[in-house]
Amino acid sequence: MPSRVSRLVAPLAAVAVAVSGCAATAATASDTLTFATDTQPDCLDPQVSSGDITALVDRNIFDSLVSMTPDGRFHPWLARSWTISPDELTYTFELVPGAVFHDGTPVDAEAVRATLDHAVDKNTKSQYAASLIRGYAGAVAVDRDTVEVRLSTPSAPFLQALSTAYLGIQSPKSLRDNAGALCFQPVGSGPFRFGSWTRNRSIVLHRNDDYRWGPASAEHTGPPRIRELTIEYVPENRVRHGMLTSGQADVVGALPPSAVSLLRHSADFRFLRADSPGAGYNLLLNSGRAPLSDYRVRAALLHAVRLDQLVSSIYFGQFSRSWSPIGPATAAYDPTVEGLWRHDPEQANRLLDEAGWTGRDAEGYRTRDGQRLSLKWPYTAQLIREQRDVLGQGVQAEAKRVGIEIRYLGEDSGTFIKDILGRDADLHAFSFVRSDPDVLRYLFASDQTSDRGGGNVFHLADPAVDGWLAAATASRDPAVRAENYALVQRHVMRNALIMPLYVPAYLVGAAARVRGLAFDAQAYPLFYAVSVGAP
Amino acid sequence: MRSPTARWLLRRLGLAVFVVFGAATAAFSALHLTPGDPARAVIGLTVPSPEVLDQVRHDLGLDRPIAVQYGSFLTGLVRGDLGRSYQLQQPVSRLIAEQLPATVELAFTAFTLALLAALALATATAGRRPALRRISSTVELVLASSPAFWVGVLLLTVFSFRLNLLPAAGGTGVRGQVLPALTLALSMVGVFTQVLREGMERALVEPFVLTSLARGTGQTMVRFRHVLRHALVPLVTLSGWTVGTLLGGAVVVETVFSRPGIGRIMATAIERRDFPVVTGVVVVSAVLFTVINLVVDWLYRVVDPRVEEFG
Repeated sequence: MPSRVSRLVAPLAAVAVAVSGCAATAATASDTLTFATDTQPDCLDPQVSSGDITALVDRNIFDSLVSMTPDGRFHPWLARSWTISPDELTYTFELVPGAVFHDGTPVDAEAVRATLDHAVDKNTKSQYAASLIRGYAGAVAVDRDTVEVRLSTPSAPFLQALSTAYLGIQSPKSLRDNAGALCFQPVGSGPFRFGSWTRNRSIVLHRNDDYRWGPASAEHTGPPRIRELTIEYVPENRVRHGMLTSGQADVVGALPPSAVSLLRHSADFRFLRADSPGAGYNLLLNSGRAPLSDYRVRAALLHAVRLDQLVSSIYFGQFSRSWSPIGPATAAYDPTVEGLWRHDPEQANRLLDEAGWTGRDAEGYRTRDGQRLSLKWPYTAQLIREQRDVLGQGVQAEAKRVGIEIRYLGEDSGTFIKDILGRDADLHAFSFVRSDPDVLRYLFASDQTSDRGGGNVFHLADPAVDGWLAAATASRDPAVRAENYALVQRHVMRNALIMPLYVPAYLVGAAARVRGLAFDAQAYPLFYAVSVGAP
Repeated sequence: MRSPTARWLLRRLGLAVFVVFGAATAAFSALHLTPGDPARAVIGLTVPSPEVLDQVRHDLGLDRPIAVQYGSFLTGLVRGDLGRSYQLQQPVSRLIAEQLPATVELAFTAFTLALLAALALATATAGRRPALRRISSTVELVLASSPAFWVGVLLLTVFSFRLNLLPAAGGTGVRGQVLPALTLALSMVGVFTQVLREGMERALVEPFVLTSLARGTGQTMVRFRHVLRHALVPLVTLSGWTVGTLLGGAVVVETVFSRPGIGRIMATAIERRDFPVVTGVVVVSAVLFTVINLVVDWLYRVVDPRVEEFG
């Protein structure tokens, strides 16, 4: 039997090969694009993975209900309109008619419900999407194109969460049929359909020729201009850079800051940069235990470091030092905190003297009652990127100048996580990309401690901060939100609870022939409107 | 003749099983003895909820006693089941089957290249003029001590970025194979040549060489037919080192050239504490290692029949 089938199929296959062969030869360089970047996804199910690269890839495959532009405004996408009930617990979305998934099934209310349910399903083991819609209390398909989403508590960041690729709408048919293999068979309604994924090498996406339902915020409508998008995984900085300059890649992501000036001085290439919104790379100070429980020691540390020089020399002027826990690209950024902590070694020394750290030991570190002024800063190589280890050593050297010892300890991930969860550390640094200022709640709310999956590593519990954060979350009035978020930023900075280090940015190098490259609100490149001119 | 060989083979096979078992156990204990909660490490620092964490622990079987985990790991191993990667959501055996061919292809090409180059260099320079020898051994020393990473980037810069002759990334097919294989081969050529030449030089002063020359056989003929066979023995002894170098080098080369392969899978798995993948790759490497050594030991007996007495 099988032989008979194959005899029937063979001529058809030959025709198919011939046709695709023609297409390949007819294709010019102008309808394919190769993007090389430094990481690869672990899984392409947007509701499973928390990876930045997953969002970047999935943005092409999946559409969201709404889109958010970098200015913080929301625009129709799969939802052509929406209303929010007065108690802010029910969101009703009217879906755009005619949108279909890559498997041919319609994008309907049922698909929205299935996707949101999939995100919070325990079996999905969502690493991020579920936490984005934590208040989700179920959805109801009112009719084919109307879906009602219910929340248990009002949540102003809800629309922003829905706008991310992590809540891209999946085909319910695929959710059923591909259960268990959704990581490798992503089926959305986006501008590109998934082609293939060779792990450790590349992901190939093909144009969705039927695409007519792009976000209202995009400059382009209809199917993408390029036929094929290849995302190559090239972990080595120098190799990515070389691929761009030799024409083997059209666009490269995660460009090292050191390579920027080389591209800037060439007419053949363009350099694009988008400041990442959300929490910049912040050093959190553990005010819950000595010696940083003393405000004067925290303040001394912030005064001790020449951050401007450190950041500009390590990042070749491409990343800027930060003044607030959130970057200037985040809505509700409060510029009044700028300039609060300038380099002032005299003041640092005075504060430390006042705090009683007046002795000096053989190595030049300050002591009090025979105890050295020593801070533990654990890190794990796995989480180090963008030369953050060099920056850490810089901070360490600066602190030493006023007599503070920083033990910057490289640890394996197991020990590291144990230290952080057990709060056996004085300092801890990380960044977190999120285009909503709600990221402040993740960092400082008392219910966002790291054992509960939050970023409040050192268990800050300040009723005033919690109050401002709650007020900001509950209100959808931008002015009220901004005011409360500003209060949080000022409080945290005035009390020297963190040392903001730098604002990360996504640096992209592109051949001059590439046009239409845009960034989304998360500072990831968008390929929907891209075209490639003649080489 | 038949019986001692069979007995030898049987004993070696028993030993091989023991080695694989030992390697698997070592990998299992090393991973489970390192501090920290692997479920935490697996899912990263931005964990959504304790329920998800418990689910992960349960899925990984980490909520069971360590002896039970070890037991099920071993029984799985016997059945050929290497477990499932939590992070990659894939059975480990499929992952390895998918990635191994690229590494084997690379290693085989690199090994062949290195061997051919070493044969040519050693036969050309053994016992010849000191100046030629000195130049050759300086080059060998430089090659043997250059990190593969550096060599790879250098080759890429010249042949791919400057001259645009060969692709830099994702290399499959012959063109994509050239630079990675060359990089890996260059790290072995130096050592191979030195060992070969020393063996040849030792053999060149043996009386049988003089006898052959006296019979009128030419220099080159003597070198290829008699001397080389003697010199190959120490090279065969190096096979363990070679397999290790190839596997270790694959990690670096696969990273620099953005190639799929088992080396990259292993490096990422260790970084992210993906237990099933690490133990799976260790087991597969141990199997490869012992099989290659078995074959080599067999070759040994063919190249040098004297070995049998001690084998």
